Amino acid sequence: MRKELLVFLMVGLMALSLAASGCISGGGTSSTSGTGTTTPAKPQGEVAIVYDVGGRGDLSFNDMAYLGASKAAKDFNLKLVELQSNTEDDYVKNLETLASQKKYKVIIAVGFMMTDAVKKVAAEYPKQNFAIVDGFDKDMPKNVRMILFKENEGSALAGALAALIAANSGKDTVGIVLGMEIPVLYKFEAGYRFGVKWAEDYYKQKTGKTVNINILYQYTGTFGDPGKGYAAAKAQLDQGAWVIYQVAGGTGTGVFKAVGEYLQAHNQKMGPPFAIGVDSAQDWIKPGAIIASMMKRVDVGVYNAIKDAVQGKFTGGVVELGLKEHGVGLSTVDDVMAMFDSLPADTQKQKLKELGFNSKDELKQYLENTRKQVPDWIWQAVSELQKKIVSGEIKVPAPMDKPGIEAVRNAKTWQDMEKLAK
Amino acid sequence: MKKSGSDILKSINLKALIESLIAIFVGFLIGAIVLLAFGYDPVTTYSALFQGALGSTTGIASTLAYSTPIMLTALTFAISARTGIFNIGAEGSFYFGAIAAVIFTNIWGNMWFGLFMGMVLGALWGLPAAFLKVYRGVHEVISTIMLNWIAWFFVLWLVVGPYANPNDPNKTLRIPPSARLPLIGNTNLSIAFIIAVFAAVLSYYILWHTILGYGMRASGLNPRAAEYGGIKPKQAIIWSFIIGGIMSGLGGAMKIMGEPPTYAISQGMANVYGYGFDGIGVALVGRNHPLGIIFAAIFFGMLRAGTPLMQIEAQVPLEIIKVIQGIIVITVAIPGLYDLIKNAITRREV
Repeated sequence: MRKELLVFLMVGLMALSLAASGCISGGGTSSTSGTGTTTPAKPQGEVAIVYDVGGRGDLSFNDMAYLGASKAAKDFNLKLVELQSNTEDDYVKNLETLASQKKYKVIIAVGFMMTDAVKKVAAEYPKQNFAIVDGFDKDMPKNVRMILFKENEGSALAGALAALIAANSGKDTVGIVLGMEIPVLYKFEAGYRFGVKWAEDYYKQKTGKTVNINILYQYTGTFGDPGKGYAAAKAQLDQGAWVIYQVAGGTGTGVFKAVGEYLQAHNQKMGPPFAIGVDSAQDWIKPGAIIASMMKRVDVGVYNAIKDAVQGKFTGGVVELGLKEHGVGLSTVDDVMAMFDSLPADTQKQKLKELGFNSKDELKQYLENTRKQVPDWIWQAVSELQKKIVSGEIKVPAPMDKPGIEAVRNAKTWQDMEKLAK
Repeated sequence: MKKSGSDILKSINLKALIESLIAIFVGFLIGAIVLLAFGYDPVTTYSALFQGALGSTTGIASTLAYSTPIMLTALTFAISARTGIFNIGAEGSFYFGAIAAVIFTNIWGNMWFGLFMGMVLGALWGLPAAFLKVYRGVHEVISTIMLNWIAWFFVLWLVVGPYANPNDPNKTLRIPPSARLPLIGNTNLSIAFIIAVFAAVLSYYILWHTILGYGMRASGLNPRAAEYGGIKPKQAIIWSFIIGGIMSGLGGAMKIMGEPPTYAISQGMANVYGYGFDGIGVALVGRNHPLGIIFAAIFFGMLRAGTPLMQIEAQVPLEIIKVIQGIIVITVAIPGLYDLIKNAITRREV
């Protein structure tokens, strides 16, 4: 036993010395190979970003936040520190660790779920600037900027698009697959319902025919489980849903898969049926199956927060971005290509190969053709609705609690819903 | 508990202690090699880990806070293991403890009442598996796995249904301020940690210094010999499930009542899931000894509390950190796992 122990220790020591010598030679590279963070020569300061449990790689919410933060870090020559959260228990700990270092121009918390944690830590460190995406609390300390979006406005466009595509194909059902049941998602759902009802009215005026579009909705309870998104979308397709709007972060990639499989099974290259993406311009993920995406420009909100902090113009309180501020909106093909360009070069190459395209132009062409599956008058109708919302002529409800969303669900017409918005 | 120190030492296997320490060392070593392979500096990474976990008051507080729930679920596993039972039902009792805290503190906003009801519901949830084992011979691994799922869906229904917070639909009702566990000093650490350590010491006392505990350990070593010696192994098994259920129920209740700022079960039960399973790892590292478990739990807590600084200072992504922590935990658990398997092979069934 004693001999064994000795051998063990010696092996250990040897390995340790090996490790030590390794880090002397390898130490130089380790700082740059970090979390994909680019470290400029002489950073003029540091900013930090904390992701929620959904984390990077969701191709939507968290990745958009990274996009904004990394762009700001580049433009203002800052070092970007990224923190992932393993579980909900880590939010306070992560924020506290960063705040106690007292060196960040601003600490950005990505996601509604961190609201309580930000409120607590910000009160403990009143001199540290914080920004939280999607989080709102009426008693939030003054050093916190709450970046909110009018998802209801963008989702209304998605709803109108979905309903008109369905009506145009002689169908009467559309779907929406959502993530966790949180107030932010009520805004998406309400906007979508509003858009569908508005489109019913528009269709009647245009064609003289009455349509009654049925809306299937499901909260999957997660933002990180594509399997659940797939199951929910498949069930909705089986019930005749002709367009499905995904509002579920990483879960939503399963929605794209389900729609893609439906097309394949029916020997179609392009829809309808279609899926509608969310947060980022997701159309490139499954070209042909995704007609557009409701972009929520988390990147813009995050970028501005960092910019303001660097330029000494940081303010706390609510900053709300809607259609008018280009904070939300339906993606154009150019938006999609810009999103695609922001991916790492080898990811782009791999994705193109996987999709069977030889160049980015082919992808672009394909996306444009996909959009041509939907007649022009529908696109015009959607932009008409957009103009009316921007001008303030039409108001979209934004319920923040259960009774609020129930009222929207029970409303019969878009005019009834509009009353709820006031 | 007031026995001399040598008594406690006798219950601790010195060989086991040394093995565990070597295992920790080896685990860190393999972790360092993996870090190097991915191009990160192990020295920076590990020093960030220790600095984050132990380098400040808030660091120590979160280390201990992270260690609290898994200490209690580890006790559930260890107490049963000492009785010769492979009880993985801590998870289910933990859920029931958590929901009990929400339900009963909202009826009467008293802290002790909430903790008590957590323990009661946790213990009650241990009983079905106990009776199935003793009277019908159903293997506890099968029954506890399935009962965990029943507990999961039942409690989930309570969370999203009757006890959902109408103003904040992604949570349950909050624990009223009068029933929240007091915090220690100016930290996020509540007295839950102290209660957990007390529970561990009490478990040690029961197992080694009471007739009940003697019976449990004897049945664990050899149920037939124990029975021949006048001990009732069936009774011992039922008690091990009850005491185990109490521990996990308490853990679940304190998870919700003693952790700022949420004080509620969140949607999808994300803040109560997994602690029962983590507890198995803690119990293995602590060699199924209640006092060993205290340190093993703190060790696990340390790994978690050091995570943010490892990401900040060493820029190691969370995924790699989890790989490293997994390697360390597996290595450290190997001696305990070996014991467990050896015992399982040599022991005869009741």
